[in-house]
Amino acid sequence: MSGGRIIVEGRPADYVDGDTVAVAVVRAGEHPHHGGTLCLAGDCGNCVAVVDGTAFVRTCQTPATAGLVVRRHPAVGAPPLDHGRDPMAAPAGPTVHHDDVDVIVVGAGDSGVAAAAAARAAGHHVLVLDDGTGDDVVGVYPGPTVVVRRAAGIWQYHADEVVIATGAAELHPVCPGNTLRGLYTARAAAALRAAGVDLGTVVEVADGTSLVRLDGDDGRVRSVTQVVDGRECTTPADAVVFALGSAPRDRLARMSDDAGVRVVGPAAARFALPPCPRDGVLCPCSGSTVEDLRGGWDRGFQHLELLKRSTLTGTGTCQGSVCGPHLQAFVADRLGAEPAPFTARPASRQLTMGEAGAQVHLDAWRRTALHDEHLALGARMDRFGGWWRPWNYGDHEAEYWAVREGVSLGDVSTLGKMVVSGPDVVEALERLYPTHVADIRPGRSRYVLLLNERGHLIDDGMIVRESDTRFVLTFTSGGASAAEMWVRDWLETWNLRVHVLDRTTALAAINVTGPRAGELLARVGVAEAPRFLQHVHAEVAGVPCHVMRLSFTGEASFELHHPVDRAVELWRALMDAGRSMGVKPHGLQALFGLRLEKGHVIVGMDTELDTTPRRVGMEWAVKMDKPDFLGRAALARTLALPDHRRLVGLTMDGAAPVEGMPVVVDGGVIGHVTSSFTSPGLGRAVMLGWLKREPFPTSVTIDGRTATVTDVPFYDPAGARARA
Amino acid sequence: MPGPEVVRGVRVVADPSALDLADWPEGAEVVRLAPDDALVLGVADVRVDDPHAIVEPDHGWVQLRFDHAAFAVRVRPHIDWVVSSAAGTLAQGLVAGVPAKVLVDADGVRLLCGAAYAHELIQRVGA
Repeated sequence: MSGGRIIVEGRPADYVDGDTVAVAVVRAGEHPHHGGTLCLAGDCGNCVAVVDGTAFVRTCQTPATAGLVVRRHPAVGAPPLDHGRDPMAAPAGPTVHHDDVDVIVVGAGDSGVAAAAAARAAGHHVLVLDDGTGDDVVGVYPGPTVVVRRAAGIWQYHADEVVIATGAAELHPVCPGNTLRGLYTARAAAALRAAGVDLGTVVEVADGTSLVRLDGDDGRVRSVTQVVDGRECTTPADAVVFALGSAPRDRLARMSDDAGVRVVGPAAARFALPPCPRDGVLCPCSGSTVEDLRGGWDRGFQHLELLKRSTLTGTGTCQGSVCGPHLQAFVADRLGAEPAPFTARPASRQLTMGEAGAQVHLDAWRRTALHDEHLALGARMDRFGGWWRPWNYGDHEAEYWAVREGVSLGDVSTLGKMVVSGPDVVEALERLYPTHVADIRPGRSRYVLLLNERGHLIDDGMIVRESDTRFVLTFTSGGASAAEMWVRDWLETWNLRVHVLDRTTALAAINVTGPRAGELLARVGVAEAPRFLQHVHAEVAGVPCHVMRLSFTGEASFELHHPVDRAVELWRALMDAGRSMGVKPHGLQALFGLRLEKGHVIVGMDTELDTTPRRVGMEWAVKMDKPDFLGRAALARTLALPDHRRLVGLTMDGAAPVEGMPVVVDGGVIGHVTSSFTSPGLGRAVMLGWLKREPFPTSVTIDGRTATVTDVPFYDPAGARARA
Repeated sequence: MPGPEVVRGVRVVADPSALDLADWPEGAEVVRLAPDDALVLGVADVRVDDPHAIVEPDHGWVQLRFDHAAFAVRVRPHIDWVVSSAAGTLAQGLVAGVPAKVLVDADGVRLLCGAAYAHELIQRVGA
């Protein structure tokens, strides 16, 4: 026989060709871990070790190769991270492969071979996966999809049918001393003997009820005590071999209730539960004991799933393969009925971070059509609401003044834009929104809140009426996707005849804002700009636009919605036409300050998950005289109740405190700042913030300074500038 | 493999029966995104028999073309769901984490995604 040497805890250990690492370690008189029964079948976690720097490797399934380095996990706790590696170096993740097959059979035992043969005879393309040939099945997902780890990477197989033929696992002993070295299941012992490993004096235990304890010294078993003819009998042993019965190896089957997953053979069979455990370590992976189970049970966790969670039994390396049947037996003994095994979830095998993250993609962040224009203008880009957006162009204060005193351009392409059309559209919008819709005339628009059934604010935007049966709806940048699903869900629920088209990414939008905005539009061909809350379709610098007059900045503002492929052309035309007027683009940093001066709320930033219109002072946007709308019933119930939360305006001298700063009264925190801005125009800090305790104070402390609760808007309260 | 191309067409949302029976202009390629939703490529306008239909020009798409072999090697590993290789297939879902349409024909496979996502898709599939 030829072989070689592996390195175990720094010392060479001989192996014979065909040995797994675990067999080689036992051959050297060692244990791959610190003790515990070895199954050598991949079921338990008692042989996991750090192999060539990778922790939690099942050594019983790892072929021994020359020079392979094995280190034990610590006896308690997890193996340390490999500090020798550069944490910033991107590891080369394994390749992920995808393949489609008709039938996958997991397991190449008798039942698996039979299932594969039957499927082939029926003309199907069959793939058999078996850990003996290097197929480590990690999980079964809906589809069904089977994820397999191999030395060469990760495979995702998409199948019409998955047959689980994984056989049965041998039961481990639960008794005092069951974490000693020198303990083997019957199949493991047979494998070791077949490999020529001398186990010394062996005692075989075939009856779990007779087993009393295992004793040893220096961590190794020396004797086994059983009840024989009613008396305890202790027998010396170098090794103890257990043939205590089996349990279905059905963890993969329990991962998916997909109709395409079927279980056959011993994996589908019913086996008698082991005797109720009385003492010892029940879950070698987590270290939980029978005593821990009793404690959990006595504290009221009298359900298998609760007991699992309260004691961590079954949550370790083997995911319950060893302890699951014993846990069932423990619960069955107390309830008088056999409980179902606990839920199985992927992954069934420990994965490296590289494997878990292989070809997993982060969220995709959208770019507007003007992205490169912003960069060319020196914009600092940031991610907001699912988009890359200009935060500023180097001087947010200059951008602020351009809006307040002259004219400025903002890229608002990110706003949600939806067309709705149909004979039932007015009815639908009346139900969706808390404001009146029927009285919006074509050519007009209205600001609206979007509420959920609980009357909580989930988005806001505009309703823009184009004709009797056609509207454009706008939503916030970050809320647009959810709003689309929201609208579609309700239309389908109500079975109303309304067509919906989301135009968010098909249209770009530029906001022309400032006291000279109308003048700039005139320069690019809009002779008669719409009045406040009106809208028109017009050519702007030759580009077809839907021009909407509204205001988020507090100044006269015209949103130009136009085909996305014309955005650069329009942007440049506006910049060229406005050059002599000192036109500047503005970024989000200036915009957030401008809108804050107007007291405009940003949903999701200033609001919370349970924010009602009353709490943000926007009851004016809710028409309770409507017979119904989403959230009306909840608002009607809560309006009569006291409410201890208010979003209020706050001002203070000096620089604005950071957002999130606590709002303090008499030494106690009663809220926090949601938005803050050092206003160049107003010469003081302006904020929005929550007060969550009555009576609402008129003066609070923020960042150690006194702030005054103030009515909003802070700027142009009559709204004359927006309407000018 | 050609570089990304801007795709121009018309988006039509209408009663499914109106789309089923529509007499599309010659040369139009109809991508039926949903029973009531079609992206009609290669035309500037279409008419359907539904007075409330939404018909809008749509230039917000970018297309990447692959031959079958290149698709299998460069794109398929980035798709976590089943894509038929049969000509005429339209599949929709995340490709490399980017929402996209997969159009299969005899010559190859096209990926269609919103222009706002194009940079991410191109970077992720190495196109």
